[in-house]
Amino acid sequence: MIEGAEEYWNPILETMPQERLRALQLKKFRRILQWAYEHSKFHRQLYTKAGLEPGDIKTFEDIARVPKVEKAMMRDIQRKDPYPYGDALCVPLERVTEFHQTSGTTGQPVYQPDTWQDWEWWSEAWSYILYAQGFRDTDRVFIPFGYNIFVAYWAGHYAAEKIGCEVVPGGVLDTKARILKMQELKATAMMATPTYVLAMADTARRELGLEPARDLCIRKILCAGEPGASIPSTKKRMEEAWGARVYDHAGATEIGAWGYECIAQPGGIHVNEALFLVEIEDLLTGELITEPGRQGKLIITAFDREAQPCIRFDSKDIAEWAAEPCPCGRTFRWLQGGVVGRADDITKVKGVLLAPSAIEEVVRSFPELSDEFEVVITRKGDMDDITLKVELIPEAVERREEVEARLVDQLRLKTNLRYNIEFHDYDTLPRYTLKAGRFKDLRKSHK
Amino acid sequence: MKHEAQREDVMVDKELLVKIDEKIQAIKKAALELRELSNGIQAVERNADRILASTKMLEINISDVLEILEISP
Repeated sequence: MIEGAEEYWNPILETMPQERLRALQLKKFRRILQWAYEHSKFHRQLYTKAGLEPGDIKTFEDIARVPKVEKAMMRDIQRKDPYPYGDALCVPLERVTEFHQTSGTTGQPVYQPDTWQDWEWWSEAWSYILYAQGFRDTDRVFIPFGYNIFVAYWAGHYAAEKIGCEVVPGGVLDTKARILKMQELKATAMMATPTYVLAMADTARRELGLEPARDLCIRKILCAGEPGASIPSTKKRMEEAWGARVYDHAGATEIGAWGYECIAQPGGIHVNEALFLVEIEDLLTGELITEPGRQGKLIITAFDREAQPCIRFDSKDIAEWAAEPCPCGRTFRWLQGGVVGRADDITKVKGVLLAPSAIEEVVRSFPELSDEFEVVITRKGDMDDITLKVELIPEAVERREEVEARLVDQLRLKTNLRYNIEFHDYDTLPRYTLKAGRFKDLRKSHK
Repeated sequence: MKHEAQREDVMVDKELLVKIDEKIQAIKKAALELRELSNGIQAVERNADRILASTKMLEINISDVLEILEISP
């Protein structure tokens, strides 16, 4: 057996020296660019307007000359012929076998067509993820998620099947029924948003009298949809509650599943550099960042997606390259701390740049506080005002003043801001089952 | 150290990859021929399409890499 065959989904690609990976990426970038130029009016016009033809891309550095694609551009061309995808579609409509759409959190949803080959590619990308996280054919994987129009977990389901896992779709069950089914079947792994991982543990304890770490067999959890699994304090909460290793992954409907945390848990996520090109761009200057330690915005290309190609897509995700190689032996570069925020989530409060994940990291590091919190930003006159709503767990109610003092200190240290702290009774803040809406910027409505 | 060792692995296994690629191309050729022979029989044509989609994943994992291995790191 080839060395590494048991550790890696594809040891040839995942341990390939960086020089060769760059050569592979250039070859594949040129191929997808040529494909989009020949088959999509949208892409051809975009490149022609920039005075560029696919043949102009001769070196890796030339890639930066290719115009980026913004989500807003996709919204503009869609809902037109070929309906509903518009001019970015590169295949006849008859070849489209899958429809999904973005959640529309930042505006009108973007529609995503995929051919069957694209759909195979989705599960291939997810296979790299799950295999790196130790999912094997001995696992019984429970997916406590209502499969729907969003791509989330569909590809995870098919990839788990491809790896040989036994997959249990926990779709329409409620939370208690899902927990009991996982217990009955002795499920060994699951996939969920961090918010739901914590909510399920809470429900198990309070409504079923079960301790997930003790009474269930879940030992691997793949998280998606929110940054929590890369936020150390949130990850620790999840791992302790379930007695399981919790792994992050990164992806998007328009891009694909491009990043994953591996079993070594280095404190960040690998980029799948065989299937994707990730470039990091300085938020202010647009200059490409190749050195570790400098945060920027991720510009991502999917090399093998044919129906609606994703070429230099502005993901708005914020991250930085890690300095050291990962102990897992993969040569795919990795992002220190994972995706730390989104360019459109980072907001200025009292003149200071604030990322919601920084608040989460502080709140979740306090064992005296429950999993739930809410941040509300308002404006009083010309002044921004920021309120953090938290819940003390019943055992810590007596220590409210001491907790508040430490919380204010830590928040000031980590975010350079002063907060009004509001303590709410335990179990009174909203509970979420998918992605949480904990960050509320009400300043626009106050104008 | 592990990274250096793995550079060698890739070199050593090139012959194996060539053999795998030959099989991939044979499957692709056979699936395309099946498609041609289907003569409108959906049960043949559509299943041949599925084989081709899976074959593409094999190409992504193996065939695409072959010419890159010619390049000295």
